[in-house]
Amino acid sequence: MNYPIWELPTIGGGSLVALIAVLHVYISHLAVGGGAFIWLTDIKAVKDNDNQLLLYVKKHTWFFLLLTMVFGGVSGVGIWFIIALVNPAATSTLIHSFVFGWAIEWVFFVGEIAALLLYHYNFDKLDDSSRHKLAFFYFLFAWLSLFIINGILAFMLSPGKWVSTHNFWHGFFNPTYFSQLFFRTAAMGMIAGLFGYVTAIFTKEQALRMSLIRYCSKWLLLSIPAMVVFGVWYFYSLPDAARAAITDNAQMQRPIQVLIVSTGVIFFFGAVLILRLPRTLQATVTGLLIGIGLSWMGGFEYSREVARKPYVLADVMYSTSVMKSDEQKINEKGVLKSAKWTEVRCTANEIAAGREMFNIQCLACHTVNGVRNDVVEKLKDYPYMGILSLLEGQGKFATYMPKVLGTPKEKASLALYITEKLLKKKAVRAPEPYSPKQPLNADIPPFNRDTDAYVLLAWNDLGMHCISDSDQWFVILPPANTLEAQLIKRGLSPEVITEDVVLTYDVEKGFANPSAHSEFWKYAKETFGAVFKKNVGVAGKGVSGTFDPDDNGISFLAKAIPVVPYTDNGSFNPYPLFTVTAKRKSTGEVLAVTRVVAPTSTEMGCRNCHGGPWAVNNAAGVHSDTAEQILRTHDRLSGTTLHTDAVNGHPKLCQSCHGDPALGAEGNKQQLKLSTAIHGWHANFMYLKNSSACAMCHPAGSEGSTRCLRGLHATVGLGCIDCHGTLDEHALSLLKGEPKKPQAKKLAEQLTPTQVATAADVNPRQPWLNEPDCETCHADYQAPEKGASGFNTWVKGPADLYRNRTGDEGSVRCTACHGSPHALYPASNHMGKNRDNLIPLQLSDTPFPIGSQMDCAVCHTDAMEDSVHHPNMERAVRNKKIRQQE
Amino acid sequence: MNTQSLIPTPDTIPAPWWIFFGLGLVMFLLHILIINTLVGSSLIIAAKRLFGRNADLESTLTENLAVKTMTLFSFGINSGVAALLFLQVIYGHFMYASSVLMAVYWILVIPLLIIAYYGGYIYIRKHQHSPRLAGASIIVTALILLYIAFAFVNNLSLMAAPHYWRAYFDNRGGTILNTSDPTLLPRYLHFAVASISVAGLFLAWIHDRNAKRTSENKASAAPIGVRTGLRIFAVSTLIQAAVGVWYLLALPKPIMMSFMGKSVVSTAILSVGILLFLGAVFMAFKGKLKATLLHFLPLMLVMVIHRANLRSLQLEEYFSLTSLEEKAQYDVLALFLLVLLLGIAAIIYMIRLVQKNKGRKVTP
Repeated sequence: MNYPIWELPTIGGGSLVALIAVLHVYISHLAVGGGAFIWLTDIKAVKDNDNQLLLYVKKHTWFFLLLTMVFGGVSGVGIWFIIALVNPAATSTLIHSFVFGWAIEWVFFVGEIAALLLYHYNFDKLDDSSRHKLAFFYFLFAWLSLFIINGILAFMLSPGKWVSTHNFWHGFFNPTYFSQLFFRTAAMGMIAGLFGYVTAIFTKEQALRMSLIRYCSKWLLLSIPAMVVFGVWYFYSLPDAARAAITDNAQMQRPIQVLIVSTGVIFFFGAVLILRLPRTLQATVTGLLIGIGLSWMGGFEYSREVARKPYVLADVMYSTSVMKSDEQKINEKGVLKSAKWTEVRCTANEIAAGREMFNIQCLACHTVNGVRNDVVEKLKDYPYMGILSLLEGQGKFATYMPKVLGTPKEKASLALYITEKLLKKKAVRAPEPYSPKQPLNADIPPFNRDTDAYVLLAWNDLGMHCISDSDQWFVILPPANTLEAQLIKRGLSPEVITEDVVLTYDVEKGFANPSAHSEFWKYAKETFGAVFKKNVGVAGKGVSGTFDPDDNGISFLAKAIPVVPYTDNGSFNPYPLFTVTAKRKSTGEVLAVTRVVAPTSTEMGCRNCHGGPWAVNNAAGVHSDTAEQILRTHDRLSGTTLHTDAVNGHPKLCQSCHGDPALGAEGNKQQLKLSTAIHGWHANFMYLKNSSACAMCHPAGSEGSTRCLRGLHATVGLGCIDCHGTLDEHALSLLKGEPKKPQAKKLAEQLTPTQVATAADVNPRQPWLNEPDCETCHADYQAPEKGASGFNTWVKGPADLYRNRTGDEGSVRCTACHGSPHALYPASNHMGKNRDNLIPLQLSDTPFPIGSQMDCAVCHTDAMEDSVHHPNMERAVRNKKIRQQE
Repeated sequence: MNTQSLIPTPDTIPAPWWIFFGLGLVMFLLHILIINTLVGSSLIIAAKRLFGRNADLESTLTENLAVKTMTLFSFGINSGVAALLFLQVIYGHFMYASSVLMAVYWILVIPLLIIAYYGGYIYIRKHQHSPRLAGASIIVTALILLYIAFAFVNNLSLMAAPHYWRAYFDNRGGTILNTSDPTLLPRYLHFAVASISVAGLFLAWIHDRNAKRTSENKASAAPIGVRTGLRIFAVSTLIQAAVGVWYLLALPKPIMMSFMGKSVVSTAILSVGILLFLGAVFMAFKGKLKATLLHFLPLMLVMVIHRANLRSLQLEEYFSLTSLEEKAQYDVLALFLLVLLLGIAAIIYMIRLVQKNKGRKVTP
């Protein structure tokens, strides 16, 4: 941020650095190894009294001089030039920290040139001993150059104690100094042999050529085993992070493969060249070897660069030229206010601000429609919100990238710039609002207090059931909506009836044929390992059928009804109504009839970040584009083959790996549970911090097509986070519930709670089993204190869940009178204000909970003075906003 | 936004600033002597190739010049590296910025330098057997060297003129040239003409040496070489004086006035330079090589000091060398000085080794 940035979006500065560096390093290794080669070969020629060999040395020296002194020398200056252009801050740090190291290396360089020129220009004029002395001096100076440069190169990857002391020697003789020195020295022997072939091949006389080639092969075959041994030492001397990058980072695999394979190939061809081959073949193999040698060098240098990521100077400076020590300061102050070379200091002009952010934080490594790390190619599938999420999560798991710095507004500007200017897409900055259709009518069944002897109460177990509706690709949740019901016989002492009655349910017109709208049945064999009859759900229920008695002995249950939110006329309706009828089993007499919503939605907001359109009616459904992007991402990050499997007709149920109490799925015990994995992963990327974060995925948005948070809590202004905690807190509670899994630790590391002081204060929980306890806020059923939060006190187990509990009398379910979770009476449904309140309206003519407003007469035929159900019940609804709902 | 806010924050330096300043001066002096010789020689050779009349004589003159010059090529680059290294320690934050502004032109220096370098070798190897190829090569080399000189002058003038840096906000592609700076052209010409002067002197010097050391055949060309060289030096140095005046007048007025009496030190440095210049030209016209050299070498030193002084004055409003934060580590400095001495000793040893044993054996 200290320097101007060279805008080179197509080629990318990194490519230029790589090009110059790899060529230079190849030749400079030759300069050292070749020095030894010339010196030792000259000695051998004299010792063997071999004039032909001496002539070869002379010829090779000229080739060597032209290559190393001219190309090698100038390209070395080229590296300095290009790194100073692409990353001036890092170059400045290297220059200032090691100036006398560079200066010493310069002295050796002068000596090297002097020795080489003297040796070459006086080759024919000097006696053997003087010539050998000059050759030795050349090699000595060249190797001493390496001795110095090696310290600075190794420093970049493993600065050791220098980070705290800034002492030259601590930086120079760092943890990888000696291992790298030996490794490179051995590599130089290999490269010297490689280039030895080049001049050998031009020798016309066959016997001499063969002897020279075999001599060069010896250099290869002796150097490579040494190089492998020193390479192993080098690997184990690397800092943990660098070693982890080599073994874990997908980006690293290619250069490492190139390095290993090319080492083997060079060794193999080195051995092959010992054989007596035709000259053309020898020349071909030599040409190949020179090319493979270059790829070896590229593999090695690229591996070093990737191992260093996200730093350009490990633990000191990020690739973006930001000092690690400045990170927090920049986040507080803002990038634009911290950078020197920008005219844009605020985000008023977001595109201009975004461009600056891009230049400062992305351009160092990425190109735009360019040759290397093309940002357009990488992000083309993502919409604005996805990009913003990626920016939020960058550097947390993909540790080869630094974290994106800046204020939330600056990051938003960057996301906008990338979306609109680079990807040329329109930026949709929040989930698009859904325009509700005309509210639907819902007839209230009749109820006559004077004549009706039974009260039938029904509800949905969760208040909203989500369906992923992406069966071709994956299944998170199938169509499986559970209804429950209780039948109460009115009287002086009302009685819960479970004997000699049969309860049936029947979906409203238009929803009777879910298999016409969902591919669940088509792929169920793959996803659930079973074939289900059309329109029959995973628990054997259809969209019309009979309730089963619940194990609790007081209520009835119709489990996993496969209703979907699509009607036969093509509309989206996440609130299908069911008519529930209670009949006397023995006579078939109808005892009571009511109607209840089975809330079910496919409005899963994956597309907000993963791209793609809605699948149905521009309102809901996970589109194939979205689903495929998700699978590809999962495959890339976790090494799975989900996308290919799905393409081949084998989609998976997410819970087949990630266990889930909601489906009773065990999953793979090594993996996080589904809820934990999904919340834990996405919390690290979510840039929103309030309830709107939840609505990015769940159908809870106040302007969405479902708006599932519709009960009285929503009416009084409570959001998801008031009970479940922020996304970070929610995720932390789940991750802490699986403490032995390493992934949980990793995902939790960078999450920050806001309602409690530290992550340690977040209480662990199991998904679906430990949920907020109503009594945390409503202690003893009283009004909550101001600012009360349901977060972080979880019920002990399923029996204590609101949806499973009863009143103090032990026979009436809480949900029977108060309605489903998330839709507590009085609920307010955007598809018809009272669609969720039909039962209280039927029984009491108010949308309030059954028996509230001291209306005990719903069940009790005698006036009641005290409540046996729960305290604080004998009173009018207290909250003004709620009262207004009547 | 003011210019000051663009000036990058410098890094801490590991020794007092004057050490780097001094080392930079010495290295630059060495570099400019070699590089002037190199650029000037290639221009003279190219010009002789293009416009020369007496082919044999030109060939003898230029062959000598070319062979010596190519030996200098490496040392020219090498001494430049050292000069640039020490410059970057104290002025790096200016130079990195200016380099980025002209990044495309700056990085082109590298591949072009490689081509020029090989061009020089092609000339030496081929000038007898393939004169056309050799001629084309040396012309390309000369043109490239002129380009490189321009890139350097552009960068060094841009780094000392931060008030032009705002051009970056209209052009971030690294193609900014400092052409709006009125000193750019005279500064460039100052270098280019100086190259011809220095190369002229070099030509005279090597022929003088040849006259003393080599065979009669070569020695016969020596007086012509010396005379030609000194004439080239004298004439181009006179032109150089005119360019120098232009350069001085193109400077911002407060800086110009510093050299014209406002600052005693600055005026004194320039005055000494002018006196040495007069002496050198006078002696050259008189054909006295040694006396010319005795004026010329101190003149180069004074001009290098003058140049450093000019840079300080140009950057005065933004930066002072004394403001650099220092965290000295003298043991490394001492080691460098020791290695430098050993290196010089080793080179002297190698040269002596060659001088002593040359001709002792003729290999097949």
